[in-house]
Amino acid sequence: MAETVVVGTARPGRFATVLIVTGSVILAVVALAAILAPLLTGWGPTEIDPLGTLVPPGPGHPLGTDANGMDVWSRLLHAGRLDLGIAVAGVAVAVVAGTALGLVAGYLGGWVDDVLMRVVDVFQAFPTFILALAVAALVGNGTGNLIAVIAAVNAPAYARLVRAEVRTVRESAFVAAAVTSGASTFGVVWRHVLPNSLTPVRVIAPLNAGWAMLTLAGLSFLGLGVTVPAAEWGAMISLGSPDVVAGRWWTSVPPGLVLLICVLGFSLLGEGLQERAEAKRR
Amino acid sequence: MRIVRFLVRRLLQLIPVLLGVVVLTFLLVRVLPGDPIRTILGPNATPEDAAAARARYGLDQPVVKQFLDYLGGLVTGDLGTSIQSGTSVGAEIGLRIGPTFELVVLALAVALVVAVLLGVWSARRADRAGDHGVRLLALVGNSMPEFWLGLVLILVGYSVLGWFPAPSGRVDPDTNLTPLTGADLLDAALTLNGPAFGSALAHLILPVATLAIVVVAPLLRSVRASALEVLHSEPYIAATAHGLGGRTLLRGYLLRATLARLPSLAALVFGTSIGSTVLVEYVFSWQGFGQWALRGLLYRDYPVVQASVLVIAFCYVVVFLIADVAQAALDPRVQI
Repeated sequence: MAETVVVGTARPGRFATVLIVTGSVILAVVALAAILAPLLTGWGPTEIDPLGTLVPPGPGHPLGTDANGMDVWSRLLHAGRLDLGIAVAGVAVAVVAGTALGLVAGYLGGWVDDVLMRVVDVFQAFPTFILALAVAALVGNGTGNLIAVIAAVNAPAYARLVRAEVRTVRESAFVAAAVTSGASTFGVVWRHVLPNSLTPVRVIAPLNAGWAMLTLAGLSFLGLGVTVPAAEWGAMISLGSPDVVAGRWWTSVPPGLVLLICVLGFSLLGEGLQERAEAKRR
Repeated sequence: MRIVRFLVRRLLQLIPVLLGVVVLTFLLVRVLPGDPIRTILGPNATPEDAAAARARYGLDQPVVKQFLDYLGGLVTGDLGTSIQSGTSVGAEIGLRIGPTFELVVLALAVALVVAVLLGVWSARRADRAGDHGVRLLALVGNSMPEFWLGLVLILVGYSVLGWFPAPSGRVDPDTNLTPLTGADLLDAALTLNGPAFGSALAHLILPVATLAIVVVAPLLRSVRASALEVLHSEPYIAATAHGLGGRTLLRGYLLRATLARLPSLAALVFGTSIGSTVLVEYVFSWQGFGQWALRGLLYRDYPVVQASVLVIAFCYVVVFLIADVAQAALDPRVQI
């Protein structure tokens, strides 16, 4: 068994690096393409070609046009702004809010902990996408609302994660030392407890950003997220879905493929970070 | 006898949980914005029309009275009347739940078999090319937008190859299938309707494949992880050292111990598959529970939203209960 143990510690580190680098490169390329979109295409994302709807891919339109006569390639590039922007912003808000709640619940304990955790229980009693559907149907769409939806459905998981970490960190000797040396509660939490409770958050957040993109695209696909004419991959797939039965692939296949690759980028990054964290623990 | 006591105790514990869900949904649909009456009356309705409609559905009563009426109905098995369609919510669920169950159960079954076979295979080749391939596939499956995958399968299977029927409906109406349970494949088998069975099966393959591919990824990852754990465990190493045969090792040690960890995970995956089902049903015009619940939500159809949330919560807790029983059956260390 000795051999496998050696292999087991030596290889995951390298494999983890491969995963992290691949994921980061994918995300960097998609983000750059979204930022530089106007330079990569002559068409605006909502500009209508008066000469034709559902034009197949060709010289004028590298990926053809959709049912509204808008250039698919241009929309594909521009959509990254909304998709990445909303997903990352939503998860960022979820991380901050969830961490704050988890810190308070975990450090204070008692009835504050009880109340907060029961609220978290209720949120987590429903599948994430169902919850997102319900919240989105009630608050309506719009970029700010969608960020709030993504944040609301994901924050409870972070609260639970951070609370569990805080409860172990709270008992450690360095926290007791800080308390006895007269540091304020805020100082102890901010300087000693918080930085030592964030490891799981760092690992989960990238994976979560990927799922958030899927949630957002799913909502848009059902008409509850971003709506056409705004360029967003889920909305593009939704608009292109009737074309599939007629054999027209270019309106819905490319946006889904880019979405898949982008989410895969987040998954690779998260998987790599997870492997690295596990390798460190061994 | 012990298992009966366990089941009764757990079912009794369900009552307060479900009651909480009932109270919460009832309040939330009323507190949050949106009005079911406006959606059925259209833009030309006068305030008098709206008031009359409100009275017809009991929405003019005080909230406490409405809640007590609703609760009284629930006790007698009456889930209320849909504001949109005017028919009994219970009857609509009866019509819609069969097709969805058929879809979810078949997809989960396929996913479980594939996950166990591939996961164990992959763990036994840990860190070799085959294992990396399987892990990459699982990552791709985990990142897959299920609604898009469904469209791609329709494009290839229907538009290009023409092997599968168009994504509308669940069975060819010409086969004269007599609906019994709503699960078409089961109905066709029960009524010995050969053509309907073939048609239902052909309609099922693409949506089941879509759902199974999305569901298999998380299962596969954790089967692999637990199989790896078993492979490195002391009992397994001891069994190998004793020179036991490959078959005994695989069936008696590896598979058994790996499966023991599966039920609780499968229950969790069932939860995510409910969300995916809504999207997959939408893509394939499945007319099942997911599409019905979604429409209820969009039109603020209070009784429909309340009933569908209750059904989802009920399924969720029952599935976890089944998982606990299965776990106890598979793992002798677990006592229930």
